[in-house]
Amino acid sequence: MPYTDILMEAVTGSVDGVLTLAVIVIPLMIFIEIIQDLNWLDKMTAVLSPITRFIGISSEAKLPIMAGLVFGISYGGGIIIDSARQGKLTYRDIYLINLFLVICHSLFEDTFLFAAIGATWLPILIARFFLAIIICWAVARFMPVPPEKASDTLD
Amino acid sequence: MLSFATLTRGLKKGLSVTWELGKVIVPVYFIITFFEYTPIMDRIAEIMQPVMYMVGLPGEASLPLVLGIFLNIYAAIGAILPLDMGTREITIIAAMLLLAHSLPMEAAVSKKAGAKVASLLLVRIIMAFLVGAGFNLIL
Repeated sequence: MPYTDILMEAVTGSVDGVLTLAVIVIPLMIFIEIIQDLNWLDKMTAVLSPITRFIGISSEAKLPIMAGLVFGISYGGGIIIDSARQGKLTYRDIYLINLFLVICHSLFEDTFLFAAIGATWLPILIARFFLAIIICWAVARFMPVPPEKASDTLD
Repeated sequence: MLSFATLTRGLKKGLSVTWELGKVIVPVYFIITFFEYTPIMDRIAEIMQPVMYMVGLPGEASLPLVLGIFLNIYAAIGAILPLDMGTREITIIAAMLLLAHSLPMEAAVSKKAGAKVASLLLVRIIMAFLVGAGFNLIL
């Protein structure tokens, strides 16, 4: 096969791929900015209440987890650092939030990127979300709750 | 509050992400496409076949998997596209990559956020292969 043909295949294929993703990514980023500007993140954290209660971590964990789920792990990490500085999170909370987020984060962007190139996205989304909950719950059983914080986790 | 600036900021971010992913996807796509016409690709596929077989993927799919784990998802996508995988294979590799990607970079974030990262990395790699094998069974 002549080199020019291979080159053409690479040019058309890669440009086509990037355009396919651009069509998904640009509206998605606008949508994420809308979520941020309407302050939906704070309202959405309520959805996580049953989950933080089930895992058994501070309800302060809801905001960093929601931020990680919507905006990605770097943004979620930034909020964890903020909350930790304010003394709202114990090491146990910090570790479990990180564990949750490394398994399950940037739900919109990551999921849409793979859907754009042909993956069936729903089972992946469900698997990540439930794995994050189950693994965090299991690990939390083995991490003792610090005594001074014990009452906070029950709210 | 929502304003016109929200839209322009979103558009700018969208274009910047597109640029970022383009910068990675295009060169990776080129390299993999040329690779496919060399015997190197067949060798890699052959060597990785026994491992990848467990998750129902062809040996070649080890390349996007490794790129995704050590670099990022964009690099993985750049390598998946020229390989012509079907929906089933793309779904399996997507599930694996979504559990384990950009490990050096994301471990740095977790470390900065104050968590011990060795166990987190282990969980991600093990989960990726378990879920890959699970999807291979149910899909």
